[in-house]
Formats: sequence, C-alpha cells, structure tokens
Amino acid sequence: MEKVPKMTARDLKELKEEKERIFEERLRFIDLYTDWLKKTPNRIWSKQHAEFLGK
Amino acid sequence: MEFEFSKNRIVFERELSYLDRLVIQFTRILDQTGVEYVIISGYIAILFGRSRNTEDVDLFMGEMPFGKFRRLWEKLEQEGFECINASGPQNAYEDYLKDQLAIRFAVKGTFEPNFEVKFPKTKYNRYSLNHKIEVILNKQKLMTSELELQIAFKLHLGSGKDFEDARHLYRIFGEKLNKELLQEHITELNVEKEAEKILWKKYQK
Repeated sequence: MEKVPKMTARDLKELKEEKERIFEERLRFIDLYTDWLKKTPNRIWSKQHAEFLGK
Repeated sequence: MEFEFSKNRIVFERELSYLDRLVIQFTRILDQTGVEYVIISGYIAILFGRSRNTEDVDLFMGEMPFGKFRRLWEKLEQEGFECINASGPQNAYEDYLKDQLAIRFAVKGTFEPNFEVKFPKTKYNRYSLNHKIEVILNKQKLMTSELELQIAFKLHLGSGKDFEDARHLYRIFGEKLNKELLQEHITELNVEKEAEKILWKKYQK
C-alpha cells in the first residue's frame, strides 16, 4: 500500500497556494454566473434554478 | 434578472422552487399570527438566484409574550409543521428562545429544510429586525434583511460559502446598493480586508 506522503514546508506552501487558486476560481465562477443571471430573463434562469433546487 | 428596486422594496416574478414555496407558507403563518420577522443569511442569496441549496432558513422574530408564541406554535402545527428540537411550546419558549437559542421547524416527518427561528440577541440582530426590506415574490410578501448589512455580515461570518454569497449579492445588486451604508457596515464589523478581497477585487482569468 502506498505510504501517506511526508509533507515538507514547501509542499504545504504549495497546498496553501492551491487552496487559494481554488477559492479564486470559485469567485470567478460567481462572476460568470451573476453576469449570466443579470442578462437572462427571470423565466429562464429561475426554471433552471427551481430544477436545481427541486420543485 | 428583472426586478423593480426601490429603497426598501424589491418586486419580482419568477418560477418558484420547493424551498421558495415553503418559505412563503411559513412566513404567511408568521404574518397571520402577527409575528414580526426578518429572514437573514443564506436564503437571501438563494432568493436572488445563487446556485446552491441550504438545509435551513434563518429568521429572527420579534420578542413576544408566551401566549402569542403558543398561538404561533399551534398554527404552525395545524399547517403541517413541527418543531424538531423542542418538546412543546413551553420548553421551546423558556429553554430555547428566552435563552437566546434557536428552535427549528420542519414539515412534519422531515428534517430538512427547516426554519431556524430565534429572538434577536446582539445589536446587529436587532438592527436586522428594525431595518427590513420587503421582497414581493410572485405577489407574496417576504421580509428580509437589508442587503448592505447582509453582504457585510456574510464577510464577518467568513466561511467560503458566506464569501461566495456576499460576492453574489454584491454583483447582482451592485449599482443599486447604498455604497455609504455598505461601507459603514464593513467598518463597524471590521471586515475591510475581507471586503477588499471578496467584493472590490477583480479576478482575471
């Protein structure tokens, strides 16, 4: 069985940077989504929203 | 997204989810029993299109005498809700609400979603209740917290989900928000650094 990786300070720094990149990616997605929401009629976005949340 | 926006009122029409219908049903009972309330936190972002679900809808309700609370409890039971964390109205009122703890109501036989209801405890809780806005969704009235406060408070709460809710609301209502009021809340809640990163910063691809 593969051993659990031993993390160095450099590895941990890399993980921290990855966490930050993932978070920024989430914020970019929020921007993309809100741009779409703002220009999309309510009947269209809310149909998808209701399907996603459950009718 | 199409809506009419004025200082204390937002009017819009859209397709409703199960969660929206439940919120409308629950708040109508609060209105019918004369209970002042304000919806806070995650559902507000969801109400305005945020693509995430939630296990609970948070509300503050104005403090009230036990008799009025018992009438609310009975009405909620008649309408198909049950309290999932207190055994009866007296227990809920004395051991939860008066102790600043939340009680949770869900549709009978279910656990989620549930309504997390409490009396205001802090200065900011009371501010929420005193500075409500009226949202008219498909001609149904919902009372929600002031958007500027909601955004700043999400920065204060500080989880990834809260930050995303804050950016969502900020970008949806951007130009319509009262910038001075938002800045005031940000200053009072000491979340300037969070505002810089979550609200003001532009993230390029």
